[in-house]
Amino acid sequence: MTETARMIGAKSASGSATPTGRRAGGNAIDRGRKRLFVPFVGPAFLFYTILFVVPSLYAVWISFNEWSGGDDMTFVGFKNYVRLFSDDLFVQSFVNTLLLLFVVGIAIFVIAFGLTLVLRDMVARKVARSVIFFPHLVNAMIFGVLAGFIFNPGGLVNKLLGGLGVTEPPAWLAHENLFPLIMVMMTWITTGYFTTILMAGVDRIPPYYYEDCALAGANAWQRLRYVILPLTWDVFATCAVLWTISSVKIFEIIWVFGGSTGQGMPPTQTWTVAVYTYVTAFSGQSIPAYGAATASAVLSLAVISILVVLLRRATKRDAVEF
Amino acid sequence: MAKIRALSALVIGSALAVTASGCAPQGGSDDTLTYWSMWKEGEAQQKVVAKAIADFEDETGIDVDVQWQGRDNIKKVLPTLNTNKVPDLVDASFAKLAPILAESGQALPLTEAYDAAVDGKQVSDLIPSAYFDAGTLTVDGEDAPWMLPYSLTSDAIWFNEAEHPELAENPPQTWDDFIGTLDDLKADGQTPIAIDGDVSGYNAYWFTTMMVRLAGPGSLKKIASDESGKAWDSPEALKAAELVQQLVDGGYFIDGYNASKWPAQQQKWADNSGVLMYNGTWLPNETSSYAADGFEYSSFSFPTVDGGPASQRADFVGFAVPAKAHNAENAQKFAAFFLGKQYQDALGTDAKIIPIRQDAAVSEDMSTVKDALDAADDYYQQNDGISFPGYTEKLLWPTLDKLMLGKLDAQQFIDAMKSGQADYWKQNS
Repeated sequence: MTETARMIGAKSASGSATPTGRRAGGNAIDRGRKRLFVPFVGPAFLFYTILFVVPSLYAVWISFNEWSGGDDMTFVGFKNYVRLFSDDLFVQSFVNTLLLLFVVGIAIFVIAFGLTLVLRDMVARKVARSVIFFPHLVNAMIFGVLAGFIFNPGGLVNKLLGGLGVTEPPAWLAHENLFPLIMVMMTWITTGYFTTILMAGVDRIPPYYYEDCALAGANAWQRLRYVILPLTWDVFATCAVLWTISSVKIFEIIWVFGGSTGQGMPPTQTWTVAVYTYVTAFSGQSIPAYGAATASAVLSLAVISILVVLLRRATKRDAVEF
Repeated sequence: MAKIRALSALVIGSALAVTASGCAPQGGSDDTLTYWSMWKEGEAQQKVVAKAIADFEDETGIDVDVQWQGRDNIKKVLPTLNTNKVPDLVDASFAKLAPILAESGQALPLTEAYDAAVDGKQVSDLIPSAYFDAGTLTVDGEDAPWMLPYSLTSDAIWFNEAEHPELAENPPQTWDDFIGTLDDLKADGQTPIAIDGDVSGYNAYWFTTMMVRLAGPGSLKKIASDESGKAWDSPEALKAAELVQQLVDGGYFIDGYNASKWPAQQQKWADNSGVLMYNGTWLPNETSSYAADGFEYSSFSFPTVDGGPASQRADFVGFAVPAKAHNAENAQKFAAFFLGKQYQDALGTDAKIIPIRQDAAVSEDMSTVKDALDAADDYYQQNDGISFPGYTEKLLWPTLDKLMLGKLDAQQFIDAMKSGQADYWKQNS
């Protein structure tokens, strides 16, 4: 839609710039285009409105109510939002979400850029790329479940450590250790995905820049700083936005990692806003609080939107053409 | 002109789309009923229910449209409650049904089911009357219960009789006996108690049962409903927390219980690496596939504390009919039908759960629990029946976890609950 609109905008702008006394509406092609605008955009717009915009607005409406799902809604204004900020558990979940976004995000991109340097001219790089990407193909839940087998007191890690003479291994799956473990796991799962995207950007860079680097005696860091980063900046900016959006929604790995497979729910120390929202609405242990749950969901949508806008501004550069 | 035509087409199109989505066909003929089951195809319980459905269809000509949805069935019912597509019959545990259906006024009083005759007796007489005394099965002001239980889950302290016949002959009756038993086991180099400390619900059993032992059923719910949180100052609450702390400090729990993932510890227990396990009546079913050779399930009740009442946990599992069900009458007919002796016996012997009828057969594994239930003078629900929104999962369980995992001592636990509960009610009142 934006593409079409932009083209039409550009056309009409150029049309108005020409001083000839042409009829309003431009030439035959322009008019044809305008006629097709509604039939082409309409269906998509309609479905988008019915399936996304209307439910979203309805969610905003629910967040101003108290509702258990079965009975009638009671309008309570901003109470659900006020309640969220006075709930220590929500604040803690929110902090966890931010930790995932920033700490894991930074780790991912540092490692990914590091890998792009190595992978570009490595032997068997195609194989290496596939291997790095592989963790992303597997559902995060599998890793959550796997963590139980690996880190249990009698699990693989402790068996290996025992073989090395460690008699008192750390309590890996203790509540306070779970979230750091989840962060490490998320980094490991996601790095390959972004490395692959960044590599696509890096591959586009014509080889003569690298040759120039070699002639100038630039080291790997300088190559990254003066060639790779500027020329892949738009790719990186897109990746950063993708990560922001997906990190705020991280749910399933925490659900099975912290808690247990099908038994109850994860300990509160590992909750993110998404988990908080789910428990508030669907824990199955108590009367559902849909109003509070939706308020939490709407709030995270707002946070994503603000972060994405800020990020777009922060990463805005004039595209380098080459 | 073309623009206007296109726009009006768009408007009409969207209007059609909206109305089309709103007028799905509605069921509701006289000889059907839709049942969303908590059992999944292949489970032993499912086979009993399926047999009953087949017999019911033969006998009454009513067509049962059953969907084997599994334990999340009530979560799926919830979004239908405000629509015309609500199922006629659902089943689940009391703890899942009560918050969703009963407490929002969405459950039908099952007058017809309770009045129906099964095996020559009225259904209301088939269920031991003591179960109704707690009053939780009936919404205030209604003349019939909203739930028709067909089985029970309870809990017990489980052990392998083949390894520990002495526990079967002479189970510890009081808390002091119990601690004595634990000390003996420990002195003997055995691990007294296995527990999956990552499952908050299991951790919570110890404290909630202790509260019920000390102050009777309903006491914990009463404390939880105090908006100031000061009810936690009650001496029984502190005492219960101290007794839990006694277990933690005594080092009776299996190594690594604070850092493992279910079912790691229950597997160890079933492999005789821990002697006792305090868990639900589903434990034999759940562990039988990996239990050590010759494992004989037996159990004893949670010991009495300071001569307090000996009540038993009785979590009902049974049917409910949503208020908006189209075929409520048929649904109640089937619910009553399923209380037939034949199916109750099959639940006890084939599915190895505890049927609601006192005269129904139970499996060998469940006999000790059944005896305890029959002998009890009072009953209570999991978490003592607390269902305030988010209270259990956001406050009670996380704080109890800390007590059980040794991160808080008894007094710190009471203080945390006191302030946490005051905050909770500030936000939720």
